[in-house]
Amino acid sequence: MNSKPLRPPGAIAETDFLATCIRCGKCAQICPYGSIRTAGFLDGPVMMGTPVIVPRSKPCYLCMKCPPVCPSGALRREMKRKEDVRMGIAKIDDKECLAWQGTLCRSCYDDCPLFGEAIVMDKELRPVVDEKKCVGCGICENVCPVEEPTIKVRPGGRT
Amino acid sequence: MTIRRARRAVQILTLGMIVLIPILNRAEITFLSGTFYSLAIGPVWITDPIIGFQTMLTSLRIDKALLLSMVIPLAAAAVLGRVFCSWMCPQNTLSEWVDHLADRLSSKRMFTFRTPRHVRTAVTAAVVLAAPLAGFPLASLLSAPGIISAQTARLIKEGAVGAEVILIAVILIAELFVARRVWCSTLCPVGGFLALFRFRRTMRVALVEDAQHHCGRCHACDEACQLGLAPMAGDIQPVCHNCGDCIDTCARLQHGARPLVFKR
Repeated sequence: MNSKPLRPPGAIAETDFLATCIRCGKCAQICPYGSIRTAGFLDGPVMMGTPVIVPRSKPCYLCMKCPPVCPSGALRREMKRKEDVRMGIAKIDDKECLAWQGTLCRSCYDDCPLFGEAIVMDKELRPVVDEKKCVGCGICENVCPVEEPTIKVRPGGRT
Repeated sequence: MTIRRARRAVQILTLGMIVLIPILNRAEITFLSGTFYSLAIGPVWITDPIIGFQTMLTSLRIDKALLLSMVIPLAAAAVLGRVFCSWMCPQNTLSEWVDHLADRLSSKRMFTFRTPRHVRTAVTAAVVLAAPLAGFPLASLLSAPGIISAQTARLIKEGAVGAEVILIAVILIAELFVARRVWCSTLCPVGGFLALFRFRRTMRVALVEDAQHHCGRCHACDEACQLGLAPMAGDIQPVCHNCGDCIDTCARLQHGARPLVFKR
């Protein structure tokens, strides 16, 4: 796992999250998609037991069931609207992205849950992320047809 | 009915719930959810007090819902003593079973000692103080009931368990070969923290002698106590968790004349 993991929707800033999350696993238990995994021993003792999302294996579908069950407030319980989520920001690698390299592809655009808002197609039919709208759910990263996804979520970065 | 029989029923029910809750959750029936870190019964939340308290210390924030969810277990401990430990905690259930296993195997432990009464309190204080220094809720990694329930849930949901379970294995092996019931009696921070909420009127085991009830000094209660306490001598707090085994044994030998009782 890279330095900063992707947290479930509503997570507070990473340092505070590590101090506040009680590692109870309730969010993972409630997640209907099994998107929330539990960090293990190899991620380090500080990380162990905390919830993480690995978009390439399963992204967050923004059902918003996990924030209200958090007993400690590590996930903001009042987070109700998916548009308000700020888990991270998707970044496109335009050197590798098929659409940016001239092949017709709109997988990320089509599957973005904030359709037509967080990812828009420019005049030359290339996807562009609107950083103000993107919630960081990772669905785009999950559906990217390139073997090493050319659109990836950078966790956190803002609150 | 003996106290032990009622207690066994509750223990088995608890183990059943540890398995049932994640299965129901997986079927998206979520009225009951959570683990022994934090449990939700509909709108009522119950959080392990040491987990909640250390989280407030490490995060330097008082979350009202978290604070409120600690009220039920603290009230229960203040009124009934640590019945959570003896009647519900899955680690205690496993440890009791391992203790019977040790009897069957006639396992000789490497150390036998009289249970020190204040070591557990010191361990608890050390864990609570170390958490803010470490910057994360350390007690979560040392909560045996939390680990057992959360890892069972994880096994059912994700099909895998974490390295946290190593602690449980170490406890059981140590209790089988190294020192009898050493986790619950001397080390467990969860029990240690609950024991801080014992007051004068908290339910406890007491020797009450009068015209009808008298102690024959048979010391069968000492034998019955898995935690290595001597209920007759009285020096059993704050370690005793009100399991009632000593009272059962006393009742069996003395019938109606038993002097050991739960007293408030």
